[in-house]
Amino acid sequence: MNERKDFYIGYIDDVSPATKKFLKRTVLILALVILTTAAIFSLSQQPFANSTFELSNETKISGVYHKSPYPMLRVEVEKGVYKNILLLGFGKFGANMYIDALKAKEGTLINRRLTIEGNLIYYNGKTLLQITNEQKITLEPERSSSKTDLASVVGDFELEGEVVDPKCYFGVMKPGKGKIHRSCASLCIAGGMPPVLVTTDSNNISEYFLLTDLKGQPIHSDILPYIGQPSKLNGTVEKLEDWYVMKIDVSNIEKLNKNSEIY
Amino acid sequence: MGLDYQTILWNKHKKVYDKLILAFMLMYLLVFAGLTFTFNAQTTIETLIIRAFGTLAVIMLHIILAIGPISRLNTSFLPLLYNRRHLGVSMFLAAAVHGVFSMIQFHTLGNVNPVYSIFTSNLDYTSLTNFPFQVLGFVALIILFFMAATSHDFWLKNLSPSVWKKLHMMVYVAYALIILHVFLGAFQQETSPFTIGFLSIGFVTIVSLHLIAGFNEVKTDTKKSEKDESNWLYVCRTGEIEEDRAKIFTVDKERVAIFKYEGKLSAIHNVCKHQGGPLGEGKIVDGCITCPWHGYQYLPGNGQSPPPFTEKVATYELKLVKDKIYLNPEAFPEGTEVKPVNC
Ligand code: HEM
Ligand code: FES
Repeated sequence: MNERKDFYIGYIDDVSPATKKFLKRTVLILALVILTTAAIFSLSQQPFANSTFELSNETKISGVYHKSPYPMLRVEVEKGVYKNILLLGFGKFGANMYIDALKAKEGTLINRRLTIEGNLIYYNGKTLLQITNEQKITLEPERSSSKTDLASVVGDFELEGEVVDPKCYFGVMKPGKGKIHRSCASLCIAGGMPPVLVTTDSNNISEYFLLTDLKGQPIHSDILPYIGQPSKLNGTVEKLEDWYVMKIDVSNIEKLNKNSEIY
Repeated sequence: MGLDYQTILWNKHKKVYDKLILAFMLMYLLVFAGLTFTFNAQTTIETLIIRAFGTLAVIMLHIILAIGPISRLNTSFLPLLYNRRHLGVSMFLAAAVHGVFSMIQFHTLGNVNPVYSIFTSNLDYTSLTNFPFQVLGFVALIILFFMAATSHDFWLKNLSPSVWKKLHMMVYVAYALIILHVFLGAFQQETSPFTIGFLSIGFVTIVSLHLIAGFNEVKTDTKKSEKDESNWLYVCRTGEIEEDRAKIFTVDKERVAIFKYEGKLSAIHNVCKHQGGPLGEGKIVDGCITCPWHGYQYLPGNGQSPPPFTEKVATYELKLVKDKIYLNPEAFPEGTEVKPVNC
């Protein structure tokens, strides 16, 4: 076409056939570009984990409350088999505020039987429960005769993995780990969620370790600089039925400069 | 034009343009969502929204940035430039959905204010691969917000075109921040050769288009011209200018457009008062020099927009020696009547 002869003025409705043809072709090419990019960006997303967060569904769970050192509900799933359900708060907070509110009225809750209505979060054999309101916790009258010391020492280990916030990792967000999710995980752990170390071995088997300080007390703000990055941790591992607990010295965590390998 | 800035000038082309923007955006989002649900169904709605709108905004930004240089290189693309502002505002809206959803998802319901959290929840400011990439996106979004908010001609008038232009040149800062936001953020974890390759090609294309268009202009700007005894500059022969068209000629870094029409020659400053469009790439329509970008008009004899409009550009004096055109490099004040030379 002779483009010098053609002069487009936006506010004049008539367009020469040559300009029209050129524009039609341009629009077609743009449509192809848009379709291709949508396909490239959509199809190159990494697979999402099949973790679940039951946002709109509340489930009632009964079990014995304990704090080892993070709030948990010990539930008997079949005769003699127990599952420890990690309790979490609403948003980016731990469960302590609800527990403490009830404790102020009822005295210590440790080893007492509670029924909690909340939103389940589950993935890869682990179950967590989001509590949104202290009214949803009810104290059962019966006293429990449950064991008090559930943990048994496994040994000292050096483990490579990534520290995550369990709420997002086990279902609320995808991806709930790594660099993209790091800011959120820091907020969650600063807000009282337990930090969890996730390891994945060469057979893609993952293990989960609730992290505590050397005295077995909760860690929150001290571990923030290490969240969401491949790291090496040293410590004593204890088995707490279906969970592991690892006692660590935060200052010994070594950041590994490599890509995330968990999941 | 000048008087009408309170209302957006609507016309058929703008409406078609806007419909196409909307249709393309919807098409992108639907294809992205459809493919994700088909092949990666375990996604969450939040992640889907964040990713679909983030990538949509970045594609739109590339198109917006390509339109400028590509229509300088080939004027057939000028219709795309005509309503680029609406494309810009739409891109901002897509980016805002992405940014606001990310802020809600990652930074609300915590123990600090979400904006404070963007800046403090990752403090590895000295690391490259662990850099708090969300800060980069946040600053870019603020810049895009100011550009979208001032995109109306009302602001163009009230801020003065040169301030407005400077503000809108910030799009390049925003672009750089966004490229870093993606390369230091999502690409560190969602590492795919396709997306990384695709955005790299996009970046190289934008930079090359700007370099080529800029280089072409530098070539015209630095052409040396001979002076006659009274210091007038030789431009070209009359036969080198097409009827109703102009030749752009540079004197002391200022570009001048020399128009030929109805057997006459007139010279005016090349820069349109609207958004700085190149008048010399325009055409004489109904006796008026018409800007190729959005159609502002000026009379060739005095550089003034025909009443009721009030724009004025500087004019220049010409003389003809046989068929050789000479230009007096001293500009007259804006809107000065100059008698055209006959050729
Ligand atoms: C408040 C401002 C912003 C925040 C908080 C933010 C946050 C994020 C986050 C968290 C991701 C990773 C999401 C994921 O992959 O799951 C991301 C990725 C991305 N962002 Fe932003 N962003 C902001 C502004 C922008 C702007 C202004 C643009 C561009 C116009 C942009 C473009 C992108 C793109 C293209 C990606 C990669 C694709 C994706 O993963 O979504 N972002 N951003
Ligand atoms: S720059 Fe908009 S009409 Fe000239």
